[in-house]
Amino acid sequence: MTGWGSWRTTLLWATAAAVVAAPTPGAAQRGSGAASYSPPRLWDRSTPDFRGLWQVRDTAYVNIEGHPADGGVAAARSIIVDPPDGKIPYKPEALARKQENFRNRATADPSLKCYQAGVPRATYLPYPLQILQSPGNLAIVYQKNHAFRVFHPETRPHFVSTDFWMGDTRYRWNGDTLVADVVALTDQLWFDEVGNHHSTDVHIVERYRMTGPDTLQYEARIEDPNVYTRSWTLRTTLHRITTPGARIIEDECLEDADGVRHHVSPSDPKSLLKTDYSRWKK
Amino acid sequence: MNARTTTLFVALLALTVEPALAQAPSGQATATTNTQLRRLPDGHPDMQGLWLKSNGGFQGLFVGSLDGTNFAAPRGGGDGRGARGGRGAGGGPRGGGLGGFPPPQYEYTPEAALEKQDRQRRPYDDPEAHCHLPGVPRGLEQPAGLYPVQIIQDEKYFALLHEYVHDARIIPTDGSPHPQNYWAWNGDSRGHWEGDTLVVDVSNFNGRTWLDMDGNFVDENEHVVERFTLVDPDTILYEATITDPTVFVKPVQERFTLRRVPAEQQILEYSCLEGERSLQHFTEEDGGKKRRAK
Repeated sequence: MTGWGSWRTTLLWATAAAVVAAPTPGAAQRGSGAASYSPPRLWDRSTPDFRGLWQVRDTAYVNIEGHPADGGVAAARSIIVDPPDGKIPYKPEALARKQENFRNRATADPSLKCYQAGVPRATYLPYPLQILQSPGNLAIVYQKNHAFRVFHPETRPHFVSTDFWMGDTRYRWNGDTLVADVVALTDQLWFDEVGNHHSTDVHIVERYRMTGPDTLQYEARIEDPNVYTRSWTLRTTLHRITTPGARIIEDECLEDADGVRHHVSPSDPKSLLKTDYSRWKK
Repeated sequence: MNARTTTLFVALLALTVEPALAQAPSGQATATTNTQLRRLPDGHPDMQGLWLKSNGGFQGLFVGSLDGTNFAAPRGGGDGRGARGGRGAGGGPRGGGLGGFPPPQYEYTPEAALEKQDRQRRPYDDPEAHCHLPGVPRGLEQPAGLYPVQIIQDEKYFALLHEYVHDARIIPTDGSPHPQNYWAWNGDSRGHWEGDTLVVDVSNFNGRTWLDMDGNFVDENEHVVERFTLVDPDTILYEATITDPTVFVKPVQERFTLRRVPAEQQILEYSCLEGERSLQHFTEEDGGKKRRAK
């Protein structure tokens, strides 16, 4: 009797567990075929929970095609996983533009002017980002330059009548992978500090997938027939910032006396300006 | 007959509620628990969505400044504010808010009053004209109907994503304290719930903030208490109390409403540094560069 009872209980538990863990339709078709990690869920018990502070640890922000050690930054491989040679498949004239950008990079890089970094560059900057989420809502706030993106459900068409610094994003869930479709990016954006670029016709498909409790794999497939001979894909990993009390801090641009803009830290006492009222007492 | 009675009753109710709310002293709207509101699993009202300031407070430089003194005519190009952005998808002034909120009253200390007059003479030094973050409550205190704010909320955060100057405030609601050695345009915000009202304590300001385009200002001693109350599914009552003992002789009160934006509209991108062309509107010349150079 006891044996029967506990067998039944076990079966019940197993069934319950299966129900709770039941993947949403399409979960079987995971991107990249990596081992499956089942992420935690939001309170609707189905939407994968990517909330938190994340940051890359690689240095692809210097040059997504890889770079030698320079200026205190260690050498790094290309984060481009397709094509296999790790190079952006530029058309000849687009490569010439990239080389011109490279020559002028000390002044021409849009990020030096405190412009928002765009997609995908904002993701692999060496600063944290925070994913905000609730059932039906998703936004990413990037610390650098207080940029943010509100992800809209794919059921609504892209807003394409202008170009944006952070593009226009529509998303859907493919199993536990967040798939975001991004268009309407301005052609003034660079991918990195060496002048890799795209046109306003660029179309980016991002894939975000948790590979463990504290790792979020990020993939972006980039196509732009004006600039590249074929689509190409970069991949990097965002790591969860687990420090207690960690948060996005305010990242502001200030203009110095020469009109040069600088990011200032709110932790720098020089950011605090005290109003001097004594001059009114003369 | 029945339906008509109901309609009449609803209409009457609406008439009664609106002025009552507009005149209610701070916080009174929160006294009762509203059972018709959507709530998160933690029981707090769900204020998520896209919202537009609908009425009250700052009405734009062209209507009158916050303290009631009118500019005879807009300085410079005449559309300084409008030229800096504009609502692409829909928007535009939305009437119908709860209306009737008086503008905030500023009572300055004698020295601060002189400081304000000095700032009125150099509107081009307004940090907003240089694309800095607007501070609190100025981030929400934009001209009515112009820039929406997206609210995303969970049990730990209440996030305000403002279209205007892509200003993001992620407000922890976990009881954590303000940090040490942190000075920011938006200060540091910590929220907690008092019944159905989210109360946000804001401090750690950097002392550089202006409250509007008319030289009203706060210094490094600014402290703000904000109250967000969902009074019906489509209306948030926003109240802010600004204290600053070195600037004001009594606290400044701001009250206005946010109205829900129809679901077919979306937040867009506001770029400022990325193409700012407005500074020249603040003076007849070059945005004050010549005067500053002296």
